[in-house]
Amino acid sequence: MNRAAASVGRFLLHTKLFWGLAVLYGAGIVLSPVNRKGANIFLDPGNQADVLRQVANNGIIAVGMTLVILTGGIDLSVGSMMSLGCMLCAMLLTLPGWTAASTASIPILALVAILLCSYLVPLVASNVRRGSAKPVEHASLKMRLAGLVAGLLVGALLVWWTTSQLQSKFGVLGVLITVPAVGLALGAFTGSVIAKGNLQPFIVTLAMMVAIVGMARLLGGETAAVYPVYTGSNATEDFESLRALVLQVIPVPGIFFLVVVLIFGFVLKYSAFGRYIYAIGGNEQAARLAGIQVDQIKVAVYSISGMLACLSGVLYTSQYRQGKPDAGAGGELDAIAAVVIGGTNLMGGKGTMTGTFVGVLIFGFLTNILLLKNINSNIQFVLKGAIILAAVLLQEGQVGLWWKRLRARTKKVSTGESRRDEVLQDLRKN
Amino acid sequence: MSSVDLISQPTEAFALEMLRISKSFGPTQVLRDVDFHLRPGEVHALMGENGAGKSTLMKIASGLIQDFDGQILVGGKPVYLTSPRDATRAGIAMIHQELSLVPELEVDENIFLGQEKLQSLFFVDRKSQVQAAEEVLKTLDFHGPLQLPVSRLRVGEQQLVEIAKALVSKARILIMDEATSALSINETERLFQVIRRLAAEGVAIVYISHRMEEVTELAHTVTVLRDGRRIGTVPAKEANRKDLIRMMVGREIQEMLAEDKDAAAVAKPMLEVRNLSLEHPSPTPSRPMLVQDVNFAVGAGEVFGLGGLLGAGRTEILQVLYGLHPGTSDGQIVIEGEPVQVLSPLQAKAHGLALVTEDRKRDGLVLGAGIDRNIGLPVMRTLTHFGIVLPGREKALAQSMMQKLNIHARDIEQTTGSLSGGNQQKVVVAKCLVTKPKVFLLDEPTRGIDVGAKAEIYRLIRDLAEQGLAIVLVSSELPELMLLSDRILVLREGRPTALLDQSEFSQETILEYASPGGAIQPEFLYLEATR
Repeated sequence: MNRAAASVGRFLLHTKLFWGLAVLYGAGIVLSPVNRKGANIFLDPGNQADVLRQVANNGIIAVGMTLVILTGGIDLSVGSMMSLGCMLCAMLLTLPGWTAASTASIPILALVAILLCSYLVPLVASNVRRGSAKPVEHASLKMRLAGLVAGLLVGALLVWWTTSQLQSKFGVLGVLITVPAVGLALGAFTGSVIAKGNLQPFIVTLAMMVAIVGMARLLGGETAAVYPVYTGSNATEDFESLRALVLQVIPVPGIFFLVVVLIFGFVLKYSAFGRYIYAIGGNEQAARLAGIQVDQIKVAVYSISGMLACLSGVLYTSQYRQGKPDAGAGGELDAIAAVVIGGTNLMGGKGTMTGTFVGVLIFGFLTNILLLKNINSNIQFVLKGAIILAAVLLQEGQVGLWWKRLRARTKKVSTGESRRDEVLQDLRKN
Repeated sequence: MSSVDLISQPTEAFALEMLRISKSFGPTQVLRDVDFHLRPGEVHALMGENGAGKSTLMKIASGLIQDFDGQILVGGKPVYLTSPRDATRAGIAMIHQELSLVPELEVDENIFLGQEKLQSLFFVDRKSQVQAAEEVLKTLDFHGPLQLPVSRLRVGEQQLVEIAKALVSKARILIMDEATSALSINETERLFQVIRRLAAEGVAIVYISHRMEEVTELAHTVTVLRDGRRIGTVPAKEANRKDLIRMMVGREIQEMLAEDKDAAAVAKPMLEVRNLSLEHPSPTPSRPMLVQDVNFAVGAGEVFGLGGLLGAGRTEILQVLYGLHPGTSDGQIVIEGEPVQVLSPLQAKAHGLALVTEDRKRDGLVLGAGIDRNIGLPVMRTLTHFGIVLPGREKALAQSMMQKLNIHARDIEQTTGSLSGGNQQKVVVAKCLVTKPKVFLLDEPTRGIDVGAKAEIYRLIRDLAEQGLAIVLVSSELPELMLLSDRILVLREGRPTALLDQSEFSQETILEYASPGGAIQPEFLYLEATR
């Protein structure tokens, strides 16, 4: 009986995250206003889809943040990175020819293609045969050369393709490839500085956060203006496809979010790369001693984070029909909060993508419920803060420890003398 | 052997009483109903194997562990110690094995840390602090300069600073954990004099030590713990070596299982090290390099010991061999006759080197991850297909290693943080063995593990040597080093001073060569000349 209770308790403890979401969802249903026909507005498919749309931006950033935090790091630059992505996207879409945006991003795109191919081609090629895998450093010269050639080819192709679009402005595929590539490059730079300089991620990404928001504003020119994006008039019609509803319910940004969660959830759980991320966050020194190339993994993680942040910037542009240099302001904190609520340990090594997904949804539904109840939006912030605190306290088990200590304190002082007598009696007996 | 009569004593006669102390870390119970009584003016030795619970018991007494069962009385009054600060207030001070000084603060600042002398409300009165520190240190026979960071002092001097810190806080109960493990013979002697004088002044001293000679020389009373239980408390005068060992180990053992070790064939060296050196991060005139002029060769099937005091550079040698100090180290590493370049652990692994670090929790294991994850980590690439882990292969590997090394665990997914010290160590060894090494570097392989696991590790080391691995062993426990090694290279402050064959092994010889100012074998004298 006791054991059954314990295992039920353990089950509840393991799934507490989902219970939190379920409680919130239940509250949403109960508190929701009802429309004229008597239907629950909260449960309306349109409303549910709206939540998914609203969380997509923060969610995509949170996925990258999960990887970074799992290695024991943190990425404060993602909000700025999103702003930069947003500005780049809007400018590429609306301005033809060689603008600041295109002159900066096309060479970076080529560079990313070259570096990525010359790293990935030998890696994949040397892993083709089962069990004979080697690190890239041990790949043969031929393979490396093949990687470099492939990189140059792909790079040249991309440059040709993007410059050919310059006269008529970028298409949707153009921005979806170019903008995240810029994020990847900036993230790789951040990661390299952290790994090679052996510096604290907090301070390095803080510097990047400041610098990148400056870049985003510089891009906009003197006035740091907002760039309106009117699909069909000053931008290509296809860009509207990022606002579309698939099957008339699911918003495209939501699909991006779900796909990103699935991909990186899979990577984290089943790939060697994922194992390394956990190992580095769990004990970096042990990982290093096991021969893992910690530096490479760190660079990769920050690159992914930057890439996803810029992707999120593209989606922002599509949803709000504008490029704004402060689109992502504060985005890093929302993402960190979602990751932490999802049970990922800020020290690294512990956490899941599922947790982050649930954490993102908890925030999304909370905002939605308050919106439907028409509650002062500033209360949202207070409630968000309270939820973060409560979630972290519960997860760290600190509440239980407080209780234990309190009990110990009251118990021990009262039984002091009698215990000695007991012991002495025992000694006398022997 | 008469037990110490406790019953006739009134409560006030004890400086410290610990009654029915129990404590468990996770699933492992480290203390069970332990009683400990300490009189004023007494030097009370606390003995036991690694993992017997000595340090845990004393951490409880000094307020570092608050979450335990039992009762503590100081001077007859029950106390509840919620922090080291409480313990200081109760007059209890502990000097840890790893000293707890702030390296960048100066001597007097360290001594008065947390109890600063204040001029007015805010400002530290350095002048009177220095004065007071000087006074206390003089009574401890310490005459060095005070205006320098403690990191610049020798370990022995740092120890004295720790004691001064305790004395300044008016400690009446002084707990010393393995105080002499880093000291030379002279420093040890000086420390003993200080301890004797303090005891004569009525300070009660708990002295944790492995070294039997020290205990019989210094202590009045000996308490032995084994597997978290108090086995007995006896007057030191009546305790003889054999009895103590029996109490500690729980059975009669020949002190040295003088195993029949075949003189290893050094004819075919597996590992050769030439002119190995490592820069000192903050060199001093007395210690310009961390490691200097180290040469040795280890044959296939040989266990090669590195002896020396703490800080002699033994660990650093292993680290350099494993590629952990690229850039600051120099010298040549030859494996099976091939000179190799080792600038990273990855390269070390590729050349057949494996390292078991001295601190398995800090460097060896991902404590939050399961056994299978840990064992698979160094060879993850062989467990994947296109970067995706093949879980079956990972599990099979972990399973086979668990059987081979006799690792006890609930299942292969149990987190390594919840395993006992011995089993954790076996996981670390397993992690190394899966890389199929040729040269095995072992740094304190039995630190903090129980007797049974220790014996298994010993057997394993011997087995691996027999299979033709070259093994380089570092151990601070001299009996262990002598038991396992075929030859021992003794180091002193980063330089070799003697190469001993099995016939020359003895604790005295090793300590003599290891202590500053001690002897040097003629063939190493040229090193002194170049200094």
